[in-house]
Amino acid sequence: MIYFNNVTKVYGRDAVALKDVNLSIEPGEFVFLVGASGSGKSTMLRLILKETEPTSGTISVNGMKLSTILRREVPNHRRAIGCVFQDFKLLPNKTVTENVAYAMEVTGQRRRAIRTKVPQILELVGLQGKKNKYPGQLSGGEQQRVSVARAFISQPPILIADEPTGNLDPETSVGIMQLLHRINRIGTTVLVATHDKEMVDVMRKRVVALEEGRIVRDKVRGVYADEL
Amino acid sequence: MNFNLGFSLREALKNLRLNLLMSVTAVTTTAVCILILGSGMLVSAHVEGIIRNVGQDVTIEAFFPKDTEEEKIEQARSSLEGYPEVKESTYISKEEALRRFQEMMADQPDIVQDIGPDVLPASIEIQLKDSRDSEAVADKLRAEGFTELSYPQQVINDLNEYTGSVIWALRGATALLFVASVLLIFNTIRLSIFARRKEIEIMKLVGATDEFVRTPFVLEGLVQGLIGAGLAALLVVWTNTLFVGWAPEALPRVPISSAAVNTPLVLLVLISVGVFIGVVGSYLSVRRFLRV
Repeated sequence: MIYFNNVTKVYGRDAVALKDVNLSIEPGEFVFLVGASGSGKSTMLRLILKETEPTSGTISVNGMKLSTILRREVPNHRRAIGCVFQDFKLLPNKTVTENVAYAMEVTGQRRRAIRTKVPQILELVGLQGKKNKYPGQLSGGEQQRVSVARAFISQPPILIADEPTGNLDPETSVGIMQLLHRINRIGTTVLVATHDKEMVDVMRKRVVALEEGRIVRDKVRGVYADEL
Repeated sequence: MNFNLGFSLREALKNLRLNLLMSVTAVTTTAVCILILGSGMLVSAHVEGIIRNVGQDVTIEAFFPKDTEEEKIEQARSSLEGYPEVKESTYISKEEALRRFQEMMADQPDIVQDIGPDVLPASIEIQLKDSRDSEAVADKLRAEGFTELSYPQQVINDLNEYTGSVIWALRGATALLFVASVLLIFNTIRLSIFARRKEIEIMKLVGATDEFVRTPFVLEGLVQGLIGAGLAALLVVWTNTLFVGWAPEALPRVPISSAAVNTPLVLLVLISVGVFIGVVGSYLSVRRFLRV
């Protein structure tokens, strides 16, 4: 589903973010990408979204080599990847319903389809009571659930999350993780970059650890840090 | 892609309402700039009109010597008809000259009383197509035997010397106003879109195409330009109508005419400029933030 082949990414002249990274994520997997700030987690996600290009190596996502995707095809590529961000990235001028609907509107779907699907997904994330609120009127956890709903509404085969619980308290974080877990169980490949140790240890999923741009550990049913 | 203009239009109108302060700023800036530009165009057009009218008003009066016979007068008149520089010539008989004089002196009847029809000479009033030809025509007339000519040579000379530079100076000023307006409006639009660059980034990350993100912004620019420039253009045209109506009474000696300003053209130019800047400004401003 997501394959990194000898990928190196250097920002500017000598800021090395990733060094010779090899990684395979198969369909239906749930993978935690862990590591300190600056270890290269976000760079990997940005590469997957084709927000930036690797300095060397190849990446393929959804059976497509990213280097072969033209600039005008990038929107199509991104629609196959649901995104959840640490800072939610909701449109401030749109209500909860409109924010979620926007992800369907960009794909040119019919209004009737949007009108039936949005309430369903809001119910899934438990926000049916807040559908006409604006992001500014919601708590962090609620905003993150809107963001998950938006990422998932088009049922993309891949969902990636960059520090989804980074701005949330532990209790709220559990809710978001459960949501991601449910989305994974219906077949979506989920990749979560995080340094939320507790969460990783509780979930016991595959853990890929990065250190200074290298993969230093890759364990099925792993934990955040190596057991000593 | 299934592109939906209705969606873009709804988005544009909603954003105009939600970002009301920004919309009002953009519309006001456009309106003020277009107003200034329009005023520049009006002043320029009227000054040009006045200069042209004054130039056209140049007439040469050629007086016949007192004892000229009818036959010679006829001859002179028909030869004048053949001058290519002459737009119109009018024969003024002695009687006509007296009548005009009486009219002019209507409030001083004692002066008029003693004047008989023989005192004033007959003459021909010649209107030229172009005031620059006056000297040449005067020479021809002298050759025809007219000894007494009256034409405002000094006025004509002055006019010809300065007309060109005045008109070009005014056009230059209008062009500068145009450039200033474009930059000012463009900058306002850029700021308002800069304030929303995060939104654009999010839209792109969710998988929106450039066109899908851009169209509502461009339509917003179009609506803002249309409203701002439309209001300003109507105000300019209305002001012109008032001015043209007021001028003949207040400035009877200045030949201001409504024909100097081509109203539909002014409306068209001003509104097009506003809409053009709105659309192109938005397009270019959004483009900078689409590279996500």
